[in-house]
Amino acid sequence: MTGVLRSEWTKFRSAPGAVWLLVAVVAVTVAGGAATAATLRCPSTGCTGDPAEISLTGIQLSQAVVAIVAALMVGGEYRTNMIHTTLAATPQRIRMLIAKTAVVAGVVALAGAVAVPAGVLVGRPMLADRGLTLALSDAAVQRAAFGSVLYLVLIALLTVGVAVIARDAAAAIGVVLSLLYVFAILAQMVPDAELRENLREIAPMTAGLAIQATVDLASLPVSPWRGLAVLAAWAFGSLVVGGVLLKARDA
Amino acid sequence: MTGFGRLTRTEWTKFRTVRGRLAAMLVAGGVILGLALSPMSGTCTRDTCGQPVGPEGEQVRDSFYFLHQPLTGDGAITARLTSMTGLLPPEPGSASEDDERAAIGPGGSGGMRPGLVPWAKAGLIVKDGTGQGTTYAAVMATGGHGVRMQHDYVHDRAGQPGAVSDTAPRWLRLTRDGDTITGEESTDGVIWTTVGAAELDGLPATVRIGLFVTSPQHVEALGAAGSASAPTVAAATFDAITRTGAGAGPGWSGEAIGEPPGTPEQERGRHEPAGDGFVLTGSGDIAPAVAGAAGLGVSVTQTLAGTFAGLVLVVVVGTVFMTGEYRRGMIRTTLAASPRRGRMLLAKAVVVGGVTFVVGLVSAAAAVTIGRESLLDNGVYVLPVSTPTAWRMIVGTGALLAVAAVLALGIGAMLRRSAGAITAVIVLTVLPYLLALTVLPATAGQWLLRVTPAAAFAVQQSAKQYAQVENLYTPAGGYFPLPWWAGFAVLCLWAGAALAGAGVLLRRRDA
Amino acid sequence: MSEATIVVDGLRKRFGSTQALDGMTFTVQPGRITGFIGPNGAGKSTTMRVILGLDRPDSGAALVGGQPYRTLRRPLCHLGSLLDAAALQPSRTARNHLLWIAHSQGLGARRVDAVIEEAGLQGVARRAAGGFSLGMRQRLGIAMALLGDPPMLMLDEPFNGMDPEGIIWMRGFLRSLARQGRAVLVSSHLMSELQDAASQVVIVGRGRVLADTAVADLLRTSSSLEEAYLKLTRDAVEYRAANGTEAAR
Repeated sequence: MTGVLRSEWTKFRSAPGAVWLLVAVVAVTVAGGAATAATLRCPSTGCTGDPAEISLTGIQLSQAVVAIVAALMVGGEYRTNMIHTTLAATPQRIRMLIAKTAVVAGVVALAGAVAVPAGVLVGRPMLADRGLTLALSDAAVQRAAFGSVLYLVLIALLTVGVAVIARDAAAAIGVVLSLLYVFAILAQMVPDAELRENLREIAPMTAGLAIQATVDLASLPVSPWRGLAVLAAWAFGSLVVGGVLLKARDA
Repeated sequence: MTGFGRLTRTEWTKFRTVRGRLAAMLVAGGVILGLALSPMSGTCTRDTCGQPVGPEGEQVRDSFYFLHQPLTGDGAITARLTSMTGLLPPEPGSASEDDERAAIGPGGSGGMRPGLVPWAKAGLIVKDGTGQGTTYAAVMATGGHGVRMQHDYVHDRAGQPGAVSDTAPRWLRLTRDGDTITGEESTDGVIWTTVGAAELDGLPATVRIGLFVTSPQHVEALGAAGSASAPTVAAATFDAITRTGAGAGPGWSGEAIGEPPGTPEQERGRHEPAGDGFVLTGSGDIAPAVAGAAGLGVSVTQTLAGTFAGLVLVVVVGTVFMTGEYRRGMIRTTLAASPRRGRMLLAKAVVVGGVTFVVGLVSAAAAVTIGRESLLDNGVYVLPVSTPTAWRMIVGTGALLAVAAVLALGIGAMLRRSAGAITAVIVLTVLPYLLALTVLPATAGQWLLRVTPAAAFAVQQSAKQYAQVENLYTPAGGYFPLPWWAGFAVLCLWAGAALAGAGVLLRRRDA
Repeated sequence: MSEATIVVDGLRKRFGSTQALDGMTFTVQPGRITGFIGPNGAGKSTTMRVILGLDRPDSGAALVGGQPYRTLRRPLCHLGSLLDAAALQPSRTARNHLLWIAHSQGLGARRVDAVIEEAGLQGVARRAAGGFSLGMRQRLGIAMALLGDPPMLMLDEPFNGMDPEGIIWMRGFLRSLARQGRAVLVSSHLMSELQDAASQVVIVGRGRVLADTAVADLLRTSSSLEEAYLKLTRDAVEYRAANGTEAAR
């Protein structure tokens, strides 16, 4: 297993632009949160809003970059037919998938571990100027930050699974971004309140981002950790289907 | 066939012979249609939930407290307004529900706090009978917009600004002369200024004339996306009432127009004598009906929710139509056959844009028609739209998808990588709308919907925005910051810039 | 049976309406070069893909040193292969391409540098492989096949795109592999190259083996390998140019 892991790691770090994409994850996370905090205009009665959520708004954008990283890691091999070489070198396909998934998860976790604290630290003084306190010692804030890193990792896993199913980076990106953004928009647009709540409970992005909430938890469609578990179920499901198909199909 | 026609035909053949592409386009159409059929249900029948229709054919709100007398032929009414006060709904979260319930009772304020909404209205009105939706003209003082002259629900003209109080009373006069109603105002009852005049076509000889008070829904944004709306009440003190014309007399009849049964005590309209005048209390609005927080029902835009899902598919197809050329070096064959690269790109844009437009147009037309019927069948009230608006939404949706596909083609040609290009286009077109709908502060959200290609979703706006109706004119309520043509132009600018950039890069780069 | 033997036994595989493999059976013995020839669409590539575990046969089995390929833990140390020389990430350097493959077999950078030298790629190893000519990519593919120092090798059209110097190098290289006692399966359309290099040929058509014989035996009845091939595959080709002898059919 270590051999396969090392192999996937070498593949990742020598892929063009891979490192730059990770840098982009960090930059986009920080910039997105800062831009949101900067444009916050508060009524005279004082600002309302969730400071943790605001400073981590960038995640909504950077998850797309994470999806690119993961989709390319799989789709790139199919594009060039290099998957044949990969499977000739590691014919135990599930082992290969686990190794690939582990490498993607590892690098995304690393990028997230830099991006999320940076986003919080950049957003904090900007929010403080507007009267919103983001207490780093607050357990809920810590949960939001740690959970946001996990969120990015789960998005990467979801994308790996979808890309293995689709065997094409373009199609995989289309499917993943639909699952995240379009599902969330549709859930938001449904006028029927009950159906809207139900959809928001199962939409991977809406449910998963519940982990960022630190105030007014009662108004959430789903509790923070349960929401993240919903996303984890999506990711795990896509990986299982991907694994079964990878094993059964001709390469 | 001209050179460009031949080129377009070549690209069309290339497009249609990849089975997945046509399939994806059909799926895009199917998704748009499928998501039009929302499982939503309500309790309206086709007749019950309709709101009154105004003289100009639009849906209106017409409920207020009316203290009236008949007027036959020409005549006038004059009155002085010495105070205007009101009650707002309780501060959200200020009192627990139990407290609220305990406070409700005869004479109790039900937890409501004092205050006047900006469009609370009190003044004089001439109206064709007491039915809802009939023609009228009124001159009034408002909570925050000074004196206004309004008629037939959609017309509004400003008079002098300033609030009404004991120390700053306001004299108002409404005069009928044939079909012409003139509104005047004065601060002392001596020097009068005309606020405006209205032509009410087909006003019968006998109309109702009198005093009125109304106060529209209080609308408040909760967090970034939520909203709350609740009824408010206004009360106004009139004195020095004088009448001229046939029908004048000491008797007045008071009536709450359009007050739904079961209205809570403190919101119910009434009048009480005060000195030589009256205090009128009323709730409601005399204005065009709007969708969203301050209104009822859903807008037709709802039936086009599937556009977002269709858009993703169209973007993937548009991108891959270009990036696919770079796989396996097919671009070299393409450029050997059509060495003029700019024209090749344009031909591709015509093909992918054309196919998308047709698919988008057909599916949007079907979605609006079928989706609307299914909502009505399920008892959901759908705000009506005029035929030109419906066609603008349908054609606009097709055009929006087509231009987005061209944008994807251009970005695909620039980046030459599918995954990056697809993500870029989706992040530019779909994400701004989602962010404006959910987390972003209103100002940032509206700004995004002005500058990003997502501005083009304004073509799907069906609800009209009225200055004289307080509402949350937000994307979540179906309102866009730009008018539809400007929003669409923003998308076209993006697509044009992407094509131009792609043209330059294609010519400059080695294939 | 020797450890270093590739056994293909009764493979059948259907793709839609096409019977790609129809009872393909042969054995590749160590210590010699086995030529694998047949017209386009005869099932050569599919057979190789099945041997590598990329495609699953409908029935039959392919064994590499007595085991199915997909059960091998370090497969490149058993069977080295060159299937599609273009199948690589174009912007990765040749050395990095070999490095990730080496890592998957638990091998290190030293082995990578050794095969780079063996394949004659020293000068270009740190250049992006996307810029390589087809001949250079073939050398990179050979280097990859040699990484695990395997007792068996399987090369699909290794002469493709090679310049005359490269062809001479490849010919000598294949012979040296056989001399080292390895089992080598080489598919090619270049009959003359195989005639010189291979000692055994497997001629296939329509998914079946038409002949599995020593080159020397074939040359006893025909003047060249080419003539013997055309004779054998006469009924097995899917099409032939109009000026060919079978045009009337």
